[in-house]
Amino acid sequence: MRKIEKRQADAYFKEKNMYTLIYFILWFIVSYGVVLFADSLTDITFLGFPFHYFMGAIGALATFIILLFANAIIGDKIDRKYGIDAKRNEEIGANSTVDH
Amino acid sequence: MDTQFIVSLLIILATFALYIGIALYNTARATSDFYVAGRGVPPIFNGMAIGADWMSAASFIGMAGTIMLLGYDGLAYIMGWTGGYLFLTLLLAPQLRKYGRWTVPEFIGDRFNSKPALVLAAACTIIISFTYSIGQLSGSGVVIGRLFEIDAKIGTMLGVVLIAFYAAFGGMKGITWTQVAQYIILIIAYLIPVIFMSLQLTNNPLPWLSYGEIISQMGELDRELGISEYFAPFTNSTKWQFLALMFTLMAGTAGLPHVIVRFYTVTTMKAARWSGAWALIFIGLLYFSAPAYAAFSRFILMTQVAGSQIANLPAWTKSWVDTGKLQVADQNGDGILQWNELIIANDIVVMATPEIANLGVFVIGLVAAGAMAAALSTAGGLMISISSSFAHDIYYRVINPQATERQRLVVARISIVIATLLAGVIALDPPGAITQIVAWAFAIATGTFFPALVLGVWWKRGNAQGIIAGLLVGLAVTLGYIFAAKYGGFTIFGIIDTGAGVFGATAAFATNIIVSLATPAPPQKLQDEVINLRYPEQMIYKDGDVYMKD
Repeated sequence: MRKIEKRQADAYFKEKNMYTLIYFILWFIVSYGVVLFADSLTDITFLGFPFHYFMGAIGALATFIILLFANAIIGDKIDRKYGIDAKRNEEIGANSTVDH
Repeated sequence: MDTQFIVSLLIILATFALYIGIALYNTARATSDFYVAGRGVPPIFNGMAIGADWMSAASFIGMAGTIMLLGYDGLAYIMGWTGGYLFLTLLLAPQLRKYGRWTVPEFIGDRFNSKPALVLAAACTIIISFTYSIGQLSGSGVVIGRLFEIDAKIGTMLGVVLIAFYAAFGGMKGITWTQVAQYIILIIAYLIPVIFMSLQLTNNPLPWLSYGEIISQMGELDRELGISEYFAPFTNSTKWQFLALMFTLMAGTAGLPHVIVRFYTVTTMKAARWSGAWALIFIGLLYFSAPAYAAFSRFILMTQVAGSQIANLPAWTKSWVDTGKLQVADQNGDGILQWNELIIANDIVVMATPEIANLGVFVIGLVAAGAMAAALSTAGGLMISISSSFAHDIYYRVINPQATERQRLVVARISIVIATLLAGVIALDPPGAITQIVAWAFAIATGTFFPALVLGVWWKRGNAQGIIAGLLVGLAVTLGYIFAAKYGGFTIFGIIDTGAGVFGATAAFATNIIVSLATPAPPQKLQDEVINLRYPEQMIYKDGDVYMKD
């Protein structure tokens, strides 16, 4: 076990939080945002659907799925950038849990 | 006894044999097998298990019908029951996994170093899971009962015995692999009928986009009839009720103990992240299809059933009219069935589709087996979380910390059997409709665990007094609003009982923060443990410094 700069660990935390914030902003726009303005979106047609209906039935959920995969992939990238080894995490994860 | 009965029975028995076989093969031998499946479940399979755990009888049987009846307003369920996975995957699951406890109440108990908080959280888990399981059991009773033309009560008892058996044997390990099988069966059963309906109506084998034109055509039909268009927003409730319901379903998702505990079964924070992503894609397959089901069914009812001679309705309508799920009354006595003379129960849509699309006995049997899989897999997960709250959190952590592994497994198994039987007895005469019972469980989870866990993971200043006050106030406000809205007619901005979670969560966040700040900060050690959750497993936070394990 070696000591690392606290600054580096904080940068890791900050970077993850920044992405989380971006995901939540997009999440809010496609779900709550569209519902708030649903009345004025009914006349726009998209792939044969009224736009507000398309977002409620397909668009929002598709965005959620994309955001979660983006989170998983970008999360792995950030881990690598800070020298985190996934294999080592697995060993630690398997052994460090409270066992009772 | 006709062919249909025999085919359905054989398919259901074959799937039951598969589930029991998997449970026996994966019998839990150690307590860690029983509660967290030995923590070695790969993310993609964990995603399927989360999907099966998540998609209940209400999702499988009821949701498409609810959307058909509510139109755009029903889409609050689609967005609400999926959007919560962002709360779960981004804010809670990886951190809870790193904390490394066995149950949700145990996290709360240890994070705040408080036995009363542990017991209170265990009680909330039992209340939420028990409420939810009543809905599941009565759902499976309806399926068994309708299929075999026996009383729904006998159907319920059959379901209860089966769930008690395989949950008690396999524990989480058995349940995980049973749920993987159940996911595959339920998703195949859900997709086949809707794909065929799409082919018949639009000549397109991909129902997920092809129903757009159907929606627009229905808008025209509605305008001709002089009723509000199918896709018109906020025709059944206010915009604020839509938003409140959506938030309650999302936050409730992130606060359901039986879903959270599925993230404890993987090895790392990284695996928790991937589990959430896989889970949502597997869940999405069903949720993308439900509005298509709704549109196709409504279109068929509007064009092929309404407008025809009462004496000359399509053959498939007869059995549904007999069960009372479809009511046709020629109110104006002209011998023709008008659209407004049709009354449709919402659980008819998925179950009747194979007959409407004329898909034959095998598919009808498969859909019944899929509905059973949805009800049983959710009930199984709920039973494990009830038993772990009792046997692990209350019995082992509080009553008898010296208990041996053997004793704890015995208590866990006995509590599963008792909880299942008790829920089964209540499900014989359920206190409300299935969707209503389920919505209450979500509201309670939103008012209790969602604020407690978000603050527990992200706010190191939170202390035991704050969490206890927050849980109690959240529970009281949520239950109070449900009762006031349902029985007293009291509403704010037109938000009814199903949206109660908004108020519960707001009150719980406020109480937790105010009480925590008014009382002494938690010990430094507990605060350090919270800071430690910011980093991946390899980084350890200790006394203001961060260490890397190589």
